Amino acid sequence: MTNQYYEFFCPVKVIAGKAALEHIPYELTGLAAKRPMIVTDKGVRAAGLLDPVVAACEESGLEIISIYDDVPPDSSTDVVRDIAGIYRSEKCDSIIAVGGGSAIDTAKAVNILVSEGGDDIAAYSGAGVIKHPLKPFLVVPTTAGTGSEVTSVAVITDTTKSVKLPFTSSFLLPNAAVIDPRMTLTLPPHITAATAMDAMTHATEAFTCMAKNPLSDAYATAAVKKISTSLLQVMDNPKDSDGRLELAQASTMAGIAFSNSMVGLVHALGHATGAICHLPHGLCMSLYLPYVLEYNLESIRAPLGELLLYLEGPDVYSATPASRRAEASISALRKMRDELHKRCKLPRTLKETGSVEEHQLDTIADMAMDDGAMMFNPKEVSLDDARAVLKRAWA
Amino acid sequence: MLAKRIQPMVFQARRLYVELMFQVMGRALQAVSEIDSAVQKEARALPDGFLFEMMVMPDGSRLIVEHTGNGRFHYHGDSAPRPVDLSIQFKHIAHAFLVLSFQEKTSVAFANDRMLVDGDISYAIRMTRVLNRLETFILPKLVAKRAVKEYPSNLHLPEKLLSAARIYLKVATHFVETVRA
Ligand SMILES: [Fe+2]
Repeated sequence: MTNQYYEFFCPVKVIAGKAALEHIPYELTGLAAKRPMIVTDKGVRAAGLLDPVVAACEESGLEIISIYDDVPPDSSTDVVRDIAGIYRSEKCDSIIAVGGGSAIDTAKAVNILVSEGGDDIAAYSGAGVIKHPLKPFLVVPTTAGTGSEVTSVAVITDTTKSVKLPFTSSFLLPNAAVIDPRMTLTLPPHITAATAMDAMTHATEAFTCMAKNPLSDAYATAAVKKISTSLLQVMDNPKDSDGRLELAQASTMAGIAFSNSMVGLVHALGHATGAICHLPHGLCMSLYLPYVLEYNLESIRAPLGELLLYLEGPDVYSATPASRRAEASISALRKMRDELHKRCKLPRTLKETGSVEEHQLDTIADMAMDDGAMMFNPKEVSLDDARAVLKRAWA
Repeated sequence: MLAKRIQPMVFQARRLYVELMFQVMGRALQAVSEIDSAVQKEARALPDGFLFEMMVMPDGSRLIVEHTGNGRFHYHGDSAPRPVDLSIQFKHIAHAFLVLSFQEKTSVAFANDRMLVDGDISYAIRMTRVLNRLETFILPKLVAKRAVKEYPSNLHLPEKLLSAARIYLKVATHFVETVRA
């Protein structure tokens, strides 16, 4: 008997598809919430994405009490405190996050403050500090990539100490994730590509890293299949709302997969690169994915080979000898990156980004060694290994 | 009837084993940090006076070491002079036993949700690497391969230290034979 053991947890209700937004009033009423606050950012508002959300609520007689639309891309403890203040003075009783990773993380942190009390969000940092359910909370993602709508983590920058504070608790999970194709229809091509590659990386790492398990595997493979099938179609036809919905669902599924089985070296390198060179997270994922898979190859040959079925379909899978499937999976991902580069200039190497200098690679490697994602990489990564992968990803 | 009488003995043996292994690891951590440059390099990134704890929930045996500076660890036994900075907590003695009897790798135990980290995750990563390195020192190569993700190629330790640690280990594995079922 093996020692295999795993845990899988996802209590988030998923509300997905055409006219999903119109379910918000019903869901909130079911949670006894009558005075919702929307937390979002300027970009979402400018793209007109708030209108259908507000309209859907008002048509059902549910008034949105307050809208905070000034969440910055890198949210801070000050922002969280300000929003919590507005929530309290307006006597709100629930939160709807509309946006990408930053708006969602901010809303999670606000929910901690308004539920647990106080003004100092830093006091709740860490794992397992929060012991009670929080206020009713819905998430409407406007990008298809981060999967934050189904993760129990939030990261907020403490501006006074300039450190990133992590918050982990299953109570951070929203009551429901509302996935409506209208919300991602207007995403510009390079963001569509980068965020989809983030989701692809979540699924691939979930499926090949140490904490993989049968339930997360099912979500991961389904996500890989949806992204492989729909991403290039959507790139060629951005208004394809069926394709958009496929990508949004894939992102949620990949989020469920990785929040239960964690990620590895791609994310460790990506987090460091994001912090040092200020590159978008999804782009970092796309940059490193094939090089890390090559580095991990001999430890992940079997699962990576299996992914070929979902990346390229049954014909290619059955025509490829079992011993070559893992390499073929990497080629499929490289091919996808080439296609994305053709369509929106999504960089494939660090050099192509124009924002990274070669002398920064050692700093990136140093920082990646301390990243939490290192723990679950299937191969034990030494500093020299990390440097070697970065060198290969350079040009 | 018999099962009822045997079970408590197994439980007690397991508890003793975990306690003993914590002592072995605590002493070995201190010893290895005095001579091994790889461990020292990892440890230097920890603040001076940094207290690390490994314990069994809710209030079982524990191991406490302090980074006294310059990459050196000092073993404090099972009581800390002040609140610890990083605590790795096994959810149950059964899980601690799996890891400390080298039936489950430390990293796998993390992946399998067998233990929790209370403190800065980047320090936890560092301490996991230190523990991996330690296990390769005190275990025979065959067992060590099971306990860590990769067996390093650059082990240079005085045979004396190794054999001393392995004597502890022999006592320890005796428990495994007794308790394993
Ligand atoms: Fe990611």
